[in-house]
Amino acid sequence: MTGTYHQLALADVRPGMVLSDVLLDLQGQVLLPQGAVLTEAMLALMPRHGIDMLPVLAEQESPEQAAATRAHHEARIAHLFRKTDADAGNDWATSLLQRFILDFRLGRDHGKEHSHE
Amino acid sequence: MSNTISYDDVLRTLDDLPSLPAVVMELLNSIDQDDVDISVLAKKVSHDQALTAKTLRLANSSLYGLQVKVTTIQQAITYLGFQTTRNLITAAAVTGYFAEGHCPGFDDKAFWRHSIATAACAKVLARHMHFNQDYAFTAGLLHDIGRLVLVSCFPNQYSLTLAYREEHDCYLLAAERQVLGVDHVDAGVALAEHWNFSDTMRQAIAHHHDPEVRGAGFLAAIIHVADAVVHALDLAQVRDDLVPQVSNVAWTALGLDEEIYLQIFRETELQYDEISMVLLS
Repeated sequence: MTGTYHQLALADVRPGMVLSDVLLDLQGQVLLPQGAVLTEAMLALMPRHGIDMLPVLAEQESPEQAAATRAHHEARIAHLFRKTDADAGNDWATSLLQRFILDFRLGRDHGKEHSHE
Repeated sequence: MSNTISYDDVLRTLDDLPSLPAVVMELLNSIDQDDVDISVLAKKVSHDQALTAKTLRLANSSLYGLQVKVTTIQQAITYLGFQTTRNLITAAAVTGYFAEGHCPGFDDKAFWRHSIATAACAKVLARHMHFNQDYAFTAGLLHDIGRLVLVSCFPNQYSLTLAYREEHDCYLLAAERQVLGVDHVDAGVALAEHWNFSDTMRQAIAHHHDPEVRGAGFLAAIIHVADAVVHALDLAQVRDDLVPQVSNVAWTALGLDEEIYLQIFRETELQYDEISMVLLS
């Protein structure tokens, strides 16, 4: 899974866009692997599999945009979890959920990117 | 002046609520039975055109990936099975049941967004846990239904509850206990009794905030986690939403790792979009 992906409505997906994640059908079967470059033919088959949204790699954002998006997600998640004390050992399940949500919104390597800065 | 409500007050008001279509009551009450006469039920549902239309739109949504378009309830049962169709009918009926807009400050749409998202997430979780997905879906949809009882029957007091929550930035559950003296769990249990829900469903509604209680049942744990996940995913889009504390016991009972959760988050978002389009339109 990569840091920046979008769930795009099928109508907005263009041939040449890259899948950011493995694509599963509704039964959980793999339809296309991560990184597949989408073609017109593939897109035409999606409705048959009941798929109307696709996770595609975001086009290169400027670093400022990326930082703004990240800051927005971080602030929102912190707000939603404002009653959770990450340092309180007895509430580890909630803290874990918060970490997973951050990973989900920002990509799993967001922590590493930070440490490089 | 006291704004508190007693449990008996809640019980008394249940009779004042309009009743669900008879066929939906019948479906809810037979959730544990497998020997229901399907063709009779299909026929009864078909008499309610609005209900039928909504149910069929759900059945034809990409959620179920049907290769053909179903046009009758009987056909939906053939392709989706009885249990699933029953769920769809229930969801279609319940989401239009309570009158909206009577309680200042209460956002009915946001309530249903949260309930539908929880149903979607519970269903996805149940699939990963090899638990009955239809139970999970219905329990997720109805877990907070007590809130609608309170809002419908005591709109003025509930308005004060919402104001209290806003002022203290506490959990709505805490505000209910503080201001009303009863909470949406009590009211939900009362309604579940009144509507003759199965024990499994009743337990899930009763314990979705304390799934670690002995005898709460696994379904309560699933709904508890689904509820928290949906708050965390921000699906109801409420400005000052709060993620409830997740029970360590319930989280451990599910025993899923991060990989699975990331997948569940994504599936929940996709399914939510799909179902809400049908149920909230």
